[in-house]
Amino acid sequence: MSTFDIPIGPQHPALPEPLLLKLEVEGETVVGVDFDVSYMHRGIEKLLETKTYFQGLPLVERICGICNAAHGLCYTLNVEKLYDKEIPPRAQYLRVIVEELSRIHSHLLWLGVAAFEIGFNTMFMYTWRDREHVMDMLEAITGNRVTTEYSQIGGVRRDITPELAEKLLKTMDVVEERTKYYIKVALTEPTIAKRTQGVGYLSPEDAKATCSVGPVIRASGIKFDVRADDPYAAHDEVPFNVITYDSCDVFGRVVVRAQELLECVNMIRYALKNLPSGPFRIKLPMKPNAGEALTRVEAPRGELLHYTLCEGTPKPYRYKVRTPTLANLGALRVMLTSKGRYVVNIGDVPIIYGSIDPCICCTARVQFIDVKKGKTWTWTLDEIRGMSKKVKA
Amino acid sequence: MSFEESFLNELKSVFGEKIVESKISKRRIFLKVSPEHYYEVIQFLVKEKGLYHLETMTATELKDYIEIIAHLGLSTSVSVKTAVDKNSPTIISLCNLIPGAEFYEREIMDLMGVKFEGHPNPKRLVLPQDWPTDVHPLRKSFETRHNQPLRDVGGE
Repeated sequence: MSTFDIPIGPQHPALPEPLLLKLEVEGETVVGVDFDVSYMHRGIEKLLETKTYFQGLPLVERICGICNAAHGLCYTLNVEKLYDKEIPPRAQYLRVIVEELSRIHSHLLWLGVAAFEIGFNTMFMYTWRDREHVMDMLEAITGNRVTTEYSQIGGVRRDITPELAEKLLKTMDVVEERTKYYIKVALTEPTIAKRTQGVGYLSPEDAKATCSVGPVIRASGIKFDVRADDPYAAHDEVPFNVITYDSCDVFGRVVVRAQELLECVNMIRYALKNLPSGPFRIKLPMKPNAGEALTRVEAPRGELLHYTLCEGTPKPYRYKVRTPTLANLGALRVMLTSKGRYVVNIGDVPIIYGSIDPCICCTARVQFIDVKKGKTWTWTLDEIRGMSKKVKA
Repeated sequence: MSFEESFLNELKSVFGEKIVESKISKRRIFLKVSPEHYYEVIQFLVKEKGLYHLETMTATELKDYIEIIAHLGLSTSVSVKTAVDKNSPTIISLCNLIPGAEFYEREIMDLMGVKFEGHPNPKRLVLPQDWPTDVHPLRKSFETRHNQPLRDVGGE
């Protein structure tokens, strides 16, 4: 039988993310796949070299809207490593609270989208409604629903009041109750089981070989979580369980994410109960010490890595970001081209692609504003300022 | 002796002079090796020490050379650095050893213009398809502060 090529995307194969999947199919069966992620390259690594470390934070937060808390946290922890200063423990606890809140909202969002992909729209409505509780709390604590910029170089932006802590605990009760219901639904509902069990198979060996991260590798039964293996902020003091599941398919990824929600709730409760007193921020000078720093953070989608090389100037010489989706692309290819028992039908492609919780915009970070006949450029801040002045005049 | 120190000592006893430079901090080890020994050291770390997870690969343009770093590790992160020539940067690909290296190497190919020998799929990854082949945006010579006048596109 001859094969046939089908392009899916870049207009949103599953989530609203610009990825082009070039599928090679034999009848209904997928036999080969190729990706094109080059639609959303924004030039952030290059742009960071032109900004001071303090100016870079708002930019880093905008790498990804959903895991902005993880990006901001990773960036600030990374820059703080260049300073040799002790960061107040209260700040570290507050960072954990906001990070886990953002993980809850990301996982609830994903559960909704995954349910939508398999045609289970009721669950999509439910999880997104419950996510609003978390978004309201994020807004109350940080002042913003997304791009919170809560973690700052030297601490956090503002403190949490006792009334707010009380309110947060109440919200956690709601989230816990709803999460237990979702876990029950996920484990018993035949719609979910039929569409996800045995779909998107990734063996533990392949998960290791492709260097996949986050819920994808944990759903293949491998205990790898940066919060436990390489603790940062207050994660060495806040206890939690690393959730794994050994079904190696989309179903496992649903269960891992749902059960992680409960862990997040418990971590937030523990952190609020044991919140140390003291200052929540210290002032750090503009110029860090020369050197290099490497930080890893467990973002909702998996291990996020930031690396910087500093020459003792206020601006980084090099700033490198590796987002979880790039690490999971290799795993995605393995899942989409499984053979034999776990062979993939075209209808299963969106949910398999969705199961890595893809975020192409944060994968491809270096888009330039115009490309015409081999000429390339980006607009600088001053140029944009100049243009806005022209408009005003 | 901390875990990082004993790990580094073990590496030094195996590779001796091949490790040119080393630096440690909490759960971080940075090594520098020459390009000939780069594959050998990583092979040892992956096969003998079980560091199967390649976190990422970084390329940085320094004054005299381009530095390639392979960050390996689970709990402790081991970063193996090597230097390649600026004018014709070429280095051996890690894809045979770690299949997950494919996307990281392709990203470096696009943005820094380094060639990876033995790469199974050396295609463009992150840059648009109509991007000129000899322009690598993360090179320091790539100019971002380039004044470009606004074009008149007509219309109202």
